[in-house]
Amino acid sequence: MIFAIARREWQASFLTAQAWTLLAASQLILAWIFLRVLEGFSGLQVAQRKVGITLELSVNLFSFTAVLVLLAVPLLSMRMLSGEFREGTFNLLGSAPVRLTEILLGKFLGLAALVIVMGLVPLEICLWLGLGTDLDLGLLAAATLGVWLSGLMFAAVGLFASCLTTHPGLAAVASYGILVLMSVINRTGGVWSGGATLFDWLAWNEHLFWFLQGVVRMSDLLYFLLFTLFFLALAHRWLANRRLG
Amino acid sequence: MGELLSVRGLGRRYGTHPALAGVDLQLRRGEVLGLLGPNGAGKSTCLQILSGNLAPSSGEVQVLGLDLIRSPCPAKRHIGYLPERPPLYSDMRVDEYLVYCARLRGIPRRRRAEAVERAKARCGLADAGTRPIVKLSKGYRQRLGLAQAIVHTPDLVILDEPTDGLDPVQIRVVRELIRGLAADCGLILSSHILSEVQAVCSRVLILRDGRVLHQARLDRDAQTPNGRYLVRLERAPQLRALGALPEVAAAESLAADRFRISLHPGGSPSSLAKRILESGWGLMELTPDRTDLERIFFDILGGVSGGGESGSGEPDSAEQEGGELGWA
Repeated sequence: MIFAIARREWQASFLTAQAWTLLAASQLILAWIFLRVLEGFSGLQVAQRKVGITLELSVNLFSFTAVLVLLAVPLLSMRMLSGEFREGTFNLLGSAPVRLTEILLGKFLGLAALVIVMGLVPLEICLWLGLGTDLDLGLLAAATLGVWLSGLMFAAVGLFASCLTTHPGLAAVASYGILVLMSVINRTGGVWSGGATLFDWLAWNEHLFWFLQGVVRMSDLLYFLLFTLFFLALAHRWLANRRLG
Repeated sequence: MGELLSVRGLGRRYGTHPALAGVDLQLRRGEVLGLLGPNGAGKSTCLQILSGNLAPSSGEVQVLGLDLIRSPCPAKRHIGYLPERPPLYSDMRVDEYLVYCARLRGIPRRRRAEAVERAKARCGLADAGTRPIVKLSKGYRQRLGLAQAIVHTPDLVILDEPTDGLDPVQIRVVRELIRGLAADCGLILSSHILSEVQAVCSRVLILRDGRVLHQARLDRDAQTPNGRYLVRLERAPQLRALGALPEVAAAESLAADRFRISLHPGGSPSSLAKRILESGWGLMELTPDRTDLERIFFDILGGVSGGGESGSGEPDSAEQEGGELGWA
């Protein structure tokens, strides 16, 4: 049942221009960044090059991909539940012999598939470069994994925001609010110096940084896993409360 | 045969407001139960609970002996639900949508195509399989809503205002569909249109402020169960003279030339007609005073509103059970 719902979400995304536009725009923007990085790198003398091209691409291209995913996911997720509430189609799911967990996981998988495709765009661009030079494939794999994990966490946030309201626009605003907060929470400017470590830990970009460096740490994996599950659990609770009124 | 649906003490509160309180109802296969009531009476809340979309605050719901609250999934396999707004995805085509619904309802892949074709055929959508839902008319959307509710051949079909907003031709089509469905399963439908309930239901339950005010069977065969007739006379006599006729138990004046007459047990309308003609009052019309739903509905709801919202809103135990309403 999870896959039936995921498939429906996947198809719905591509039946409208939304997913196609996002993918096309991502490809265009990332290709532009790729060219800028390549141009900058090739303009340097060998002695001036402090890091390899793969790391340059990982830090610039993949980090920007994560930002693009952050911008795209609330737009993709905003209708997933709030749209169903608004159009009354959630009644179909609610009266079907499907558990709330299955509904939520189906929606999440549908969104995750899109996020995974978006995360593959920078990898695909980099692999073209691999035809002409040696690339650190392990580093690219780590960076792609980091983008995917960030995207999955964004998707969980998006789904949670989508079940808060019957207005898709409000759901998108709520998603952006949570995600921007999780992006800047470590920029406390020394106000709370004692809690800086905690705020650093709460910021998703601090964890993505290590993946972009090619370092896959258990603590970063756990961070993304934990927050993904946390927001999915919140969404589940919210849906259950909605039934209870 | 066991009960298809058994509801006991069903209640639902929104904050401190009781939307539904102490609703009991039973349904057997082949029965069509109509939920009647003014807007805000609790009809949709009741149906949402029965469809598993809403959790009750109190009470229990059993579908074929399966507890809908404690084990919703097995119970929901036997339920088909058409909400007030058909739950349609406008970006899909009719066939895609029904296949998705069949999948959601757990129909195995090998039986899915057959189930979809059967539902389409029953709902008059056989030629509409490739049409985009966004381009369907309101009548077709309603039919598609019905098709999704029956695609898994449920034992219990719940319809929330199924003919709301349809034109007379579409209403007739949907009514025929409902009558056809009733042969195989039990149906509950809500409506605030009395004629709707009269046309398709075998039983009626009147709700007001979330409480059951009246429950009764609508017997299609009983013509005039209480021996009451309406007469129109060309030369109307004094009411007393009419009441003095040997067949007449009671007479009531409705207008200058119209009367409601109750006959004594054993009195027949033909002997009443003969007596009126012999008296030279000029019989222009003699019709059974159908104990129809409309009169009962307004008697009950009028009585409630006239007597105060809370005090007389309590259900009358004598009325709640076993009332036999005849209509032609």
